[in-house]
Amino acid sequence: MTKFLFFSGKGGVGKTTMACTTAVAEADAGGRVLIVTTDPASNLADVFEQPIGHAVTAIDGVPGLWAMEIDPDKATAEYTDRTLAPIREIFPEQIVAVMEEQLAGPCTAEVAAFDRFADFLDPTAPALVPTSGNAFDLVIFDTAPTGHTVRLLELPEAWSKSISEAEAGAGQTCIGPAAAIAEAKVKYERALAALRDQDRTRFAFVLHPEATAIAETRRAGAELARLGIVTTELIVNGILPPEEGSTPFFASRIAMQERYLAEIRQQLPVPTRRVPLLDGEVRGIARLRAMAPLLADANAARPVFGLPADGAARRSHDTAAAIAALRPAGGPRTVFFAGKGGVGKTAISCAAAVWSSRQGYRTLLVTTDPAAHIGQVLGEVIETDPTPVPSVDGLWAARVDAKAAASAYTDRIIEDAVAKGRSPQSIAAMREELDSPCTEEMAAFDQFIELASRHTFDVTIFDTAPTGHTMRLLELPIDWSRQLDVKVFASVEGDAADDVAKARFAGVIDMMRDPARSTFAFVMYPEATPIIEASRAIDELASLGIPLGLVVANMVLPEDACRTPFALARRQMQQTYLGNIEARFAAPVLEVPLLDGEVIGLGRLTDLLAPAMGPVAVPA
Amino acid sequence: MTDQTTAVTLLDVEIFDPPLCCPTGLCGPVLDTTLVDLADAVSTLSGEGHSVVRHMMTSDPQAFMRNKTVYDLIKARQLEVLPITVVRGQVVKTSAYPTLDELHAALAAGA
Repeated sequence: MTKFLFFSGKGGVGKTTMACTTAVAEADAGGRVLIVTTDPASNLADVFEQPIGHAVTAIDGVPGLWAMEIDPDKATAEYTDRTLAPIREIFPEQIVAVMEEQLAGPCTAEVAAFDRFADFLDPTAPALVPTSGNAFDLVIFDTAPTGHTVRLLELPEAWSKSISEAEAGAGQTCIGPAAAIAEAKVKYERALAALRDQDRTRFAFVLHPEATAIAETRRAGAELARLGIVTTELIVNGILPPEEGSTPFFASRIAMQERYLAEIRQQLPVPTRRVPLLDGEVRGIARLRAMAPLLADANAARPVFGLPADGAARRSHDTAAAIAALRPAGGPRTVFFAGKGGVGKTAISCAAAVWSSRQGYRTLLVTTDPAAHIGQVLGEVIETDPTPVPSVDGLWAARVDAKAAASAYTDRIIEDAVAKGRSPQSIAAMREELDSPCTEEMAAFDQFIELASRHTFDVTIFDTAPTGHTMRLLELPIDWSRQLDVKVFASVEGDAADDVAKARFAGVIDMMRDPARSTFAFVMYPEATPIIEASRAIDELASLGIPLGLVVANMVLPEDACRTPFALARRQMQQTYLGNIEARFAAPVLEVPLLDGEVIGLGRLTDLLAPAMGPVAVPA
Repeated sequence: MTDQTTAVTLLDVEIFDPPLCCPTGLCGPVLDTTLVDLADAVSTLSGEGHSVVRHMMTSDPQAFMRNKTVYDLIKARQLEVLPITVVRGQVVKTSAYPTLDELHAALAAGA
């Protein structure tokens, strides 16, 4: 019977590496292995150094190994086509066009992606078998970063509910035709059952030995446990080799890691493996094979990859331009820190917010990240309403909480319906409809728009969620505004309210596209994958008319800390990529150093930006 | 009186909806009250013993073809003719949803 192995964790921790190393090792041991990614910002092709794509693809050089990327856009297109096929035969072009628009909403994409994902968990579903015959022994999932993973896995529960209740109603659900989904219901229930079956499914969390990762893993693990999914193991990655402790900088980081390893032992009592940091990136089959022994035994010999080839010459940084991108230019400025999870957006956005308020600007720091790391970094509790941060004059902070927002939105609608004297059946139907995952997405978006539209702050800084999720959240204004145009057909009285909503959305879109009013700052660290991730995300934003305002190159190893061959090799790897960053992106680059300890607390936050921004002016 | 439906018993009320994200009007940043009013009306009529069906394109496209008058209207006037309200096989309203009063009147007229 096919077994499943899930690698989950915040983006950037190395779960893709772990998943790929395991995949290669199992295939080399004679298994028929499929590795699948459901990450909207997948980098599987980069690690295997070959194109993969939307169909089961053989991996060159590893007999017995296949890979596949579930591309949400393609999945949505296929799902849409399947749904529209019977409609195209019957209805005129204009009507089909309207339905296409409706199916282009964010909810459809979530369903379509999950639909493909569920294919793999349903043993009776076809199209899982490589052309040469038998089913796979093992299917490995390189899942999306923790917050998104949880959302994706919560869907089976929510969707299954939506379908049963809708069957009793008009035969239509918020997420599309109940008829089409009814047959999928069985598939989704099987998917959930497979996820819960510990004899068939292993769930491995990958994390780094640092504070936010531990809290996040615990939280994510608890959410999954509520769905009946058990975390079977942990992999703690990125552990500095003990001999690097000969350098004080690294000795300090090693001590920090040791503290967190102890905390992990205490707080996450699950079988745990430790994987060392290597002196270079694990890309390509040869390196994946060299890595494999370390997953089996932490004390196995560490491969040494050595100094990488030299990169492009670097030009100097325009700090003034970087600073200008964070300051108001004759009116309020909104800054969005985007980037794959784990690159340091939380720390950087906090540091930027602290810096901004110390420059004398009324600053609001907002986190839309479902896992809300900002509170941990600032050492304060962050509320959903903008609240002054006690330790920093001129700084406010707020959190966009999707669940709370959906709850408040639902209550508002139901209260209104009760006041209007609607029938109990109507109210029951409305409650059931409002209980969908779409409501959460929409309610969060509503709050985001609300905060982004405020003009009471000089600078508003958003700590956005990891790149894939970011795209959904930031694409929403555009998608929903299209949806509104389409909804106008269905009602007359709805028009006036729709116009107000439209105006608000249009206002925020305009703001995002105007470099004088908003800055999109992409945070990345100087390694191949984060740069490629950012590049894709930046291109997508550009296609929406949103320009790149700033690049933040984070976690740069300080020159004076790197004396050993290991450290020098890693530093040189970074320097090559820093050159890559400067060449690739047409925006000012801000370099932020790796510190010798955790970035928690105001002192550290100041240390982050002081080298680049210069001494901080304290307002009179 | 000719009708093209092949059903043995005629439904009292049929509503042919325009393409909708969801029948209740709740899926979107702004609530569509017309659709909620309609849901109420449908609920009331069912309670009074009438047979009422809402036809959705995505789940039952064939229904739009079965009633020839409805289908001809859609081919000729397309999106703007929807929603179409049919009472006992006869088209009684196009382009906008009926109110509960209008539905009661149409049902009484046919009786």
